[in-house]
Amino acid sequence: MTHITLTLCTNGQVITRIHLQKEYNELRTSVLALKFKDGIMMAADTLASYGSLARFKSIQRLQPVGSSTVIGASGDMSDFQYIQTLLDELTVEEFTAGDHHELGPAEIHEYLSRVMYARRSKMNPLWNSILVGGVKDGKSFLAYVDLLGTTYSASTLATGYGAYIALPLLRKAVEGREHELTEEEARKIMEESMKVLFYRDARSLNKFQIATVKESGVTISDPIILETAWGFAEGIRGYGAQTQ
Amino acid sequence: MAYIGLEVGGICQQGSGELWVRNSSAKRNSNCSEYVNRTAIGLRVKDGIVLAVEKIIHSKLLVPGANRRIQSVDRHIGMATSGFLADGRHLGNRARDEASNFRETFRMPPPLKDVVSRLSMYVQAYTLYSSVRPFGVSTIIGSVDKDGPQLYIIEPSGIAYGYHGAAVGKGRQLAKTEIEKLKLVEMSSREAVIEAARIIYLVHDDAKEKDFELEMSWIGDETNGLHLPVPKELHAEAEEKAKSALETFD
Amino acid sequence: MPDGSFASHPQERQFNPYSENGGTILAIAGADFSVIAGDTRQSEGYSIQTRYAPKVFRLTDRAVLAVNGFAADGNMFVKKVKQRLEWYRHAHAKDMPLKAIARLIQTMLYAQRFFPYYVYNILGGIEEDGSGAVYSFDPVGSYEREACRAAGAAQSLVQPFLDNQIYFKNQLAAPNQPHPVHLPLSDVLSIVIDSFTGATERHIEVGDGLEIYVVLAHGRSVQGLEGVPGVQELTTSGEGDRVFVIRRELKKD
Repeated sequence: MTHITLTLCTNGQVITRIHLQKEYNELRTSVLALKFKDGIMMAADTLASYGSLARFKSIQRLQPVGSSTVIGASGDMSDFQYIQTLLDELTVEEFTAGDHHELGPAEIHEYLSRVMYARRSKMNPLWNSILVGGVKDGKSFLAYVDLLGTTYSASTLATGYGAYIALPLLRKAVEGREHELTEEEARKIMEESMKVLFYRDARSLNKFQIATVKESGVTISDPIILETAWGFAEGIRGYGAQTQ
Repeated sequence: MAYIGLEVGGICQQGSGELWVRNSSAKRNSNCSEYVNRTAIGLRVKDGIVLAVEKIIHSKLLVPGANRRIQSVDRHIGMATSGFLADGRHLGNRARDEASNFRETFRMPPPLKDVVSRLSMYVQAYTLYSSVRPFGVSTIIGSVDKDGPQLYIIEPSGIAYGYHGAAVGKGRQLAKTEIEKLKLVEMSSREAVIEAARIIYLVHDDAKEKDFELEMSWIGDETNGLHLPVPKELHAEAEEKAKSALETFD
Repeated sequence: MPDGSFASHPQERQFNPYSENGGTILAIAGADFSVIAGDTRQSEGYSIQTRYAPKVFRLTDRAVLAVNGFAADGNMFVKKVKQRLEWYRHAHAKDMPLKAIARLIQTMLYAQRFFPYYVYNILGGIEEDGSGAVYSFDPVGSYEREACRAAGAAQSLVQPFLDNQIYFKNQLAAPNQPHPVHLPLSDVLSIVIDSFTGATERHIEVGDGLEIYVVLAHGRSVQGLEGVPGVQELTTSGEGDRVFVIRRELKKD
């Protein structure tokens, strides 16, 4: 939003001031991801907040790219939408080449990290943290890239608040067991972590989606709404109906 | 001067490399040098588009499948060219640029008629100046877009019309006669692939001409709206049926 | 507000294009070998981003580069150095000599003088005369050849230790027994491992894993490497200078 204000100075001169007051629709909450036996799994809720306002409650933050990759984004919503169009243009270009090659998760991640690093170097970053995951040629891939162009790879990843709250839970459940975990176990870990995040992160929603990438392809679930219980809050001062 | 005249209907390249430009559109392609102007056809049917070209193998040393004459312009747009392969490639590149430019501007998959109108304007511009020669290709371009299956021919003059069935290149006369017999609006893409293969085999003059390869692609429900090569099995089946149909025809 | 402007100040999010990703690197030169090592933890603030992000890279059969600081800059810098070395190979049909790589790195760093790569580089390897060498750089390219250097988060812990153990600072030599100029490889490897276990104990940004690269001069025996568990050769020719890597676990807390 750009605000233009007219200021009257003491000498009567009118000064026009342009305030670049930026308000963002933010995909502030976390994206979680882990590796399991047959591939990777990623989860993100469906909220885009506007400051502390829960502005859009049904936004998809997990996006398939090609047939073996999924990306999950947190951060600025418009920047993410721009990234989506970039990737769409890229995949069309690759498709029309007609050479029977497709970009896999490693290539998508490399491309994104170049874009993100180039933009940070122009001091005009794309304000996002993005997880890229997928399976291609029997190899599973999971990596992170953010607004600074920082990249890394691990068997469990999380952005935002999830890096503090969910990542320790994910590491405990996954590290060293990447090749044993079944899809069902992985899903259970994800749901549990998302639940904990919802209880602790004020800017989150109990409505989320889970993406799974296996050799067979990408599936993104319909929104899942988790059962939560807030009965315990009754006894806590500062919650509920008590006035004192 | 290699270039003659401004009223252009088509161009030919003779063996000497001399460039000919004439304004007769009907006879245009039949006199062109032997191997560049092979037949290409397009069928617009109930649920999709089928493109097929007769690709002459001018050397036994060529890798099978090399020198493709069908290109993708966008996920949902395919084009087949007859004429100079290099000009066809150039138009393919231009078409891809136009399609991606449309995407950037309007954030939606380009409808075929927009790509066709842009591409035909480009082709037409090459008939206007003495410093350039027109494109030596007839293009069949097809898509399944928001309005369903679409099929166009773009001539070297820049003329573009929409069709139910399209044929360009050397065997187009016979091909058109055959296409006219088909009930295109009731036909499925799968059936159209069989028919397209049959027609290409039919128009190919075995006695006079060198070996050829059949190249086919389709767009429709079966490909999820994508422009893709016809799958191996179906291709083989269509080729098989085309050959046996040819025997009964003789 | 009386002047008609907005109560909240125009708020533009300040963007800091840099970050610090922890970790430590070091290199020690021997008479006819060079050892370059780094831990594999990458962190930001108190968070461990990953337990395995290499900071040490083989450039040629005789040069290894360790990069520490802002990881995004580091990775980009290594990528560009490698690219320049490839171009050199295409132009001259040989690998660039170590001292030339060192000068190249200075030029590349200084080219970014006013928007620097926030990276400390240590280059190790074998010179054309067959001697082991270490070059260390600051982020804008000033560099020197040394016998040993530590950099990164635990530089202040490791460098004094190396000064003592490699340069024998604050150690008095026994009569008629002067300090050696160069240590044998096995001693150097022990010092490297001790440096990192020590840094892991006392610095929160160091740990998880250790990668030690060893470059041996042409014709030198593998003495000092035999019996080292998990040592792996990266060069294939068997002639010329040779590069080995040794991987170790470090504490993960």
